[in-house]
Amino acid sequence: MSSNRWLATGNYFTSYQEEQRIFFTSLDRSAMCIFILCLFAWPLFIDVGNKYMLVIDNILVAIIAVMGLNLVTGFAGLISIGHAAFVGIGAYTVASFARNLGDSHVLITHAWPLMIVLAGCMGAVFGAIVGLPALRLKHLYLAMATLSFQMIFEWTINFMNFFNQGQTISVGRVFWLTGKVARKEHYIFWYYAILVVIVILAFAVRNLLCTRYGRCLVAVRDNDRAADAMGMHPGFTKVYAFGLAGFLAGIAGGLHAYLYRGVGIDSFTLHHSINYLAMAIVGGLGTLNGSFWGPLAIKVLDLQVERLSEWVGAHLTVATNLATALRPLSFGLVIVLFLMFEPRGIANWWRIARSYVKLWPFRY
Amino acid sequence: MSYFFQLVVSGIVVGSIYALSGLGFVLIYKSSRVLNIAHGQIIAAGAFITYALTVWVHIPIYISFLMSMVITFFLAMSVERIFLRRLIGEPIISVIMVTIGLMSILDGLIYLTPFGTENFSFPPFLPTTPISFGGVSISWTQMVGVAITFSMIAGFSWFFKKSTVGISMRAVSDDQLASMSIGISVPRVFGLAWAMAGLSAAAAGGIIGNITGLNFDTLHAFGIVVFPVVILGGLDSILGAVVAGIIMGLIQQFASGYLDGNWGLNGTGEVLPYIILLVILLFKPHGLFGIHEIERV
Repeated sequence: MSSNRWLATGNYFTSYQEEQRIFFTSLDRSAMCIFILCLFAWPLFIDVGNKYMLVIDNILVAIIAVMGLNLVTGFAGLISIGHAAFVGIGAYTVASFARNLGDSHVLITHAWPLMIVLAGCMGAVFGAIVGLPALRLKHLYLAMATLSFQMIFEWTINFMNFFNQGQTISVGRVFWLTGKVARKEHYIFWYYAILVVIVILAFAVRNLLCTRYGRCLVAVRDNDRAADAMGMHPGFTKVYAFGLAGFLAGIAGGLHAYLYRGVGIDSFTLHHSINYLAMAIVGGLGTLNGSFWGPLAIKVLDLQVERLSEWVGAHLTVATNLATALRPLSFGLVIVLFLMFEPRGIANWWRIARSYVKLWPFRY
Repeated sequence: MSYFFQLVVSGIVVGSIYALSGLGFVLIYKSSRVLNIAHGQIIAAGAFITYALTVWVHIPIYISFLMSMVITFFLAMSVERIFLRRLIGEPIISVIMVTIGLMSILDGLIYLTPFGTENFSFPPFLPTTPISFGGVSISWTQMVGVAITFSMIAGFSWFFKKSTVGISMRAVSDDQLASMSIGISVPRVFGLAWAMAGLSAAAAGGIIGNITGLNFDTLHAFGIVVFPVVILGGLDSILGAVVAGIIMGLIQQFASGYLDGNWGLNGTGEVLPYIILLVILLFKPHGLFGIHEIERV
């Protein structure tokens, strides 16, 4: 097998083990290592300021959530219109500890990795419960089930005193080896923390997709009757997919709670669920690197639209409505245009670019 | 006891509006298997067009009500023609996502108008003193609204039972291939289904606008409450949508009438439909009147 997959054409695999490896060549592995190193190293040289660091952290949290959504919607083919609720479950797990024990209890500030894992587990439990109708039903009905879970979640948070009726519940600043993380280092600290989580989870998901369970998901998506005949249990596979998605969403929620040092219902509404779906679609459903492109693209678009509407608001005083209208308008247009002209998302551009390099100077 | 009957009356009023909104939703689903998530926005658009024609252009409200129905008819038809026609045969998630994108676009378009952020209310055109029978009172607007709703539902059922176009629409929902072979244009039927849905949505919007006032949030929330209604009734049954709409209206009114304020509960009317939706999905997913050929795992 050629050592450079970019130049090799055709399939050179001779065993299943070979096809299931994460890195096909040592070149791939070293490229990935260098890329991750760069991701860790750049804040040492470039100072982007707290405002943009928060945006970057936001993108990273969204990447974790969208990885989960991509598992359930892209790989298992089940539409979830309630993903923000699962993220919210994770965030409110941390928040309810903070509310019971006080927001700077040792469990919150020192044992935060444990809290985040716990948030993920709560997300997984709720994901599996909401996925239970999947034992009997298919896509449309599951979309309804997740939608109703979203509405029930919002209601529960809004009307229960324990959750401060949707108002912000504060979560304390965490401790690291050297002591309490300082105010001005907060966002950069969480950049590193979330990056570590993403690297771990991305490898875990990539690995999962190579295993029996990952291939089960794809098989059930493509043809559940055939999958049934092959000895898989489609219903359980779907519930399991929901559980996994809930786990990733819960972790994203826990990180969100710590990043913002507080939890409020405003970040987990139906609107956000739709946002996550849009990210998954723009990135490319059913591809792992799509879950990285999608949040990046949508958040950058959001930032640009915000800047544009600020500019419009400053120059045309009558056009305040125009400024509020720009965001949903551009967002909707992006979804519709992507679905009509590039339904396989940005990940497809990456694939096209690769095959272009491979075949150069020839082309179809 | 009169409190109970008052709740029944307001439940029927709310329920008949749910029925009318659910009707449009079911029409689209029945013919083209598309879950229209932007339905609430079409309802809101219908209400706003009625208001704009009545108050800004000074057209009598009955005529502007009809005109908004006609405008929304063509609006929904062009939505189908522009966005959904090219997605025929695409995976179901793309189609659902397109309607979500459409929802966002319509949101944006409505925010461009004053309706997005401000509240309006229709000028009263009916007697404002409510009619009361022995302690139970119903306002004239509600009365007329329910009357219009039921006559529209009757009109729709006549249309599907007797008229050629209606029968061809039912044929398409039954078997697309067979109806193509006898000369029915399936894409045209899809367009027509969207147009009819737009028409009924505009009617619903006009009635809601008259009863509760024009607030964009309240209006497009109707597009979400429609989901429990149509699931309870069975996704592909028009009769189901009507019956379930009224049941859901009654449940909501009873819940907020009897449960709220007791045991520290509040706003139960908003959440109960969704709990019912989850329970139905678990135990009786084809709803009350839906066809049993549900896709099982």
